[in-house]
Amino acid sequence: MKKRTEYIYTAVLMAVLIFGLAIFAVLKPADEFSESERRPLKQLPELSVETILNGNFMDNFEDYTNDQFPLRDAFRSIKALSRYYLFGLSDNNELYFAEGHIAKLDFPLDEDSINYAADRFEDLYNKYMAGKANKVVFSVVPDKGFYIAEENGYPAMDYAAMQEFFKNRLDFAEYVDITGTLGKDSYYLTDTHWQQQYLTGTAEKILSALGASAFDNFEESVATEEFHGVYYGQSALPLKPEKIVCLHNAELDGMTVLNYETGKETGVYDFDKLGSKDPYEFYLSGPSPVLEVTNPNGEEGRKLIIFRDSFGSSIGPLLMNDYEKIFLVDTRYLLPDFVGNYVDFEGADVLMLYSSLVLNESSTIKK
Amino acid sequence: MLFSSIPFLYYFLPLVLITYFAAPKKLKNAVLFAYSLVFYAWGEPVYVFLMAVSIVSAWGLALLMEKAKTQKVRKIIMIISVVISFSFLAYFKYADFFISNFNAATGLSIPLLKLALPVGISFYTFQIASYTIDVYRGDTKANRNIVNFGAYVVLFPQLIAGPIVRYVDIAEMLENRTHTLEKTAYGIKRFCLGLGKKVLLANTFGELCSVFRASDEKTVLFYWMYAAAFMLQIYFDFSGYSDMAIGLGRIFGFTFLENFDFPFVSKSITEFWRRWHMSLGSWFRDYVYIPLGGNRVKTPRFLFNIFVVWFLTGFWHGADWQFIVWGLFYGVMLVIEKMWLKKYLDKAPAFLCHIYVLFLSAIGFVIFNSVNMAGAIEDLKGMFGFSGLPLCGTETLYYLKSFALMFVVGSLLATPVIKNLLAKIDSAKTGGKILAVLRPIGFAAILIIVTGYLADGSFNPFFYFRF
Repeated sequence: MKKRTEYIYTAVLMAVLIFGLAIFAVLKPADEFSESERRPLKQLPELSVETILNGNFMDNFEDYTNDQFPLRDAFRSIKALSRYYLFGLSDNNELYFAEGHIAKLDFPLDEDSINYAADRFEDLYNKYMAGKANKVVFSVVPDKGFYIAEENGYPAMDYAAMQEFFKNRLDFAEYVDITGTLGKDSYYLTDTHWQQQYLTGTAEKILSALGASAFDNFEESVATEEFHGVYYGQSALPLKPEKIVCLHNAELDGMTVLNYETGKETGVYDFDKLGSKDPYEFYLSGPSPVLEVTNPNGEEGRKLIIFRDSFGSSIGPLLMNDYEKIFLVDTRYLLPDFVGNYVDFEGADVLMLYSSLVLNESSTIKK
Repeated sequence: MLFSSIPFLYYFLPLVLITYFAAPKKLKNAVLFAYSLVFYAWGEPVYVFLMAVSIVSAWGLALLMEKAKTQKVRKIIMIISVVISFSFLAYFKYADFFISNFNAATGLSIPLLKLALPVGISFYTFQIASYTIDVYRGDTKANRNIVNFGAYVVLFPQLIAGPIVRYVDIAEMLENRTHTLEKTAYGIKRFCLGLGKKVLLANTFGELCSVFRASDEKTVLFYWMYAAAFMLQIYFDFSGYSDMAIGLGRIFGFTFLENFDFPFVSKSITEFWRRWHMSLGSWFRDYVYIPLGGNRVKTPRFLFNIFVVWFLTGFWHGADWQFIVWGLFYGVMLVIEKMWLKKYLDKAPAFLCHIYVLFLSAIGFVIFNSVNMAGAIEDLKGMFGFSGLPLCGTETLYYLKSFALMFVVGSLLATPVIKNLLAKIDSAKTGGKILAVLRPIGFAAILIIVTGYLADGSFNPFFYFRF
């Protein structure tokens, strides 16, 4: 090829790319929401003398052009793939890919954070449970990194130290180690959460500590086969969608869930949520300050109060066999002072179930 | 506005290219001037007026200087013009440094000004000063067209991060330049190369530096990884910006002088500074070192000249003591080399010389990138194990493994090995044909991958805010 041909070839190729994408960017209507990243996208900022002089227009315009760039998800995938496979980097946006799973780099153990969380749990115990609650059980839900990080050369939090800390610090509660009931397959490949169909053993272990019995019969059904977990969008890797499976039996199907925030009453599975930005909210309708679950087949007057994060949503239904009422309380959305307005702890069993991800970054738990 | 941003690549650049190439020849500089002002105002909407004052005063005073009848008047006008330019730099960049040191020395508490530093002020002030001094010396004529002169000062390709383009080097091009397909193709390739260096390499090494700073795990090995990562970050960042500037300049018909020439392959610190930020080095040589007498003076005066230049070089990079120490560190090394070490380096095996340069560069850049002098001492202690740190740790090993290929790629690209290899392939008949096809595809691939990084809102620091 003659030099001149190469010059033409270079100029044309780059002109097509730059001008083509520029025209595409200008003509493309702005999207409101990124399904893959589960967040609203920036819109064209207000243009005024004031916003120009204070620089806000320019700052926001850059965010807007990044968010609205044509084929953005494809470009993000190119970036992710080039980081992993071209430059050999082990993570992208602090997420790594190992054994088919996307997981978050979550290390080291943040002692300030777990101390803060323990303080909050102690406050709750002293305020509501001391002298009233029947039994208090505490457990840490390990992140999937517990099962795949070190084996694949990734640094992992010291889970043993975290468990030991809570075991010693929360002396009012019985600590239940559930790590042996789980494995990497217990988690979604593209999401942070665990999969309900693999939690029966975990539920049995927790219920045993609470002195309650587990359901002995379930049927599995597929709620959706198009689930992209939260890490799917963050990692920008082109991965296949997964199934959300739910466990059924006659008792579970007969239960009702009252959401105190919305006043809405549903079943334990909310099929409307399968079309929402986070289909995992299918379980107990997702995050909510207080939920009251009524089990018509439960032991009259027996109740369980679960302080929980989002991991509690999928395991919650599996804990209901003996209980007439279960209250699920999330103090990330409700000030602890108000918990007593909704829940009576007299004679109740209490489970505190939190993921290591939340405990290691616990500022979201309200004081 | 950053070159490495979606607004620049896909909004500003297409617009300026269309307008520029559609404009008749006599309006091309006006187009560049107008777009350059928009480019600057994008990040500094208020400071664009400061720049306008700098341009008008330097332009007007140069004309006055040329009309002055006596050398004495010419000199006075030159001094006034240079003082005006440098007073802006002194006020915005150095005032707080002097106030805080004055406060520390006297126990007073004069409030700091806390002004935002106008981006690129150190670069354009030096360009304006070189113009003024060159007109005074008679090396060039004053430009009578304020648009052309304004285009020179604010020319967006080199406005915010250099290279420091001297007026004499592009005076002719401002009036009369050609645009060819060859220049355009070269400019595109050079721009993409710089973009890749900045976004794919410098920013990624910058990530490692940030991780190191944020990490609770400090080990000796992690300190050295940080030092190596920062050396590569600043090299690819700065030389990447220079490549982009040179490439864009070429598209618009300008030929800017080179600013970097693989400095990490140097065999002495003297050679390193002939290859690193060459436009700054030559500026200080021509406007400070030689006027002070250079090396054709007695030893004490020579030492004085050297230390003035390296004090100023450090101070130019930032208004803090670590920058001054960094500059003087190199001054000391240059003196040592010139007076004693050079004869040994000339005879030493090449690999030892490379290790010597890389070792001193690592120390220098660790000082450069520290928060303050206390931080610099802390970092150096960490590197040499004086802080009682462990040699290695889990996190250190993870990042070493994660960045291993990046270090290999970065180290290779910081040497001329790949460039020479490609030149050799290009010179062969078949190899040349293959490269002619693959090269444009490669640069297009760089642009696509970079776009992915930018669309993802990746880590994209702007280094030059403190220059």
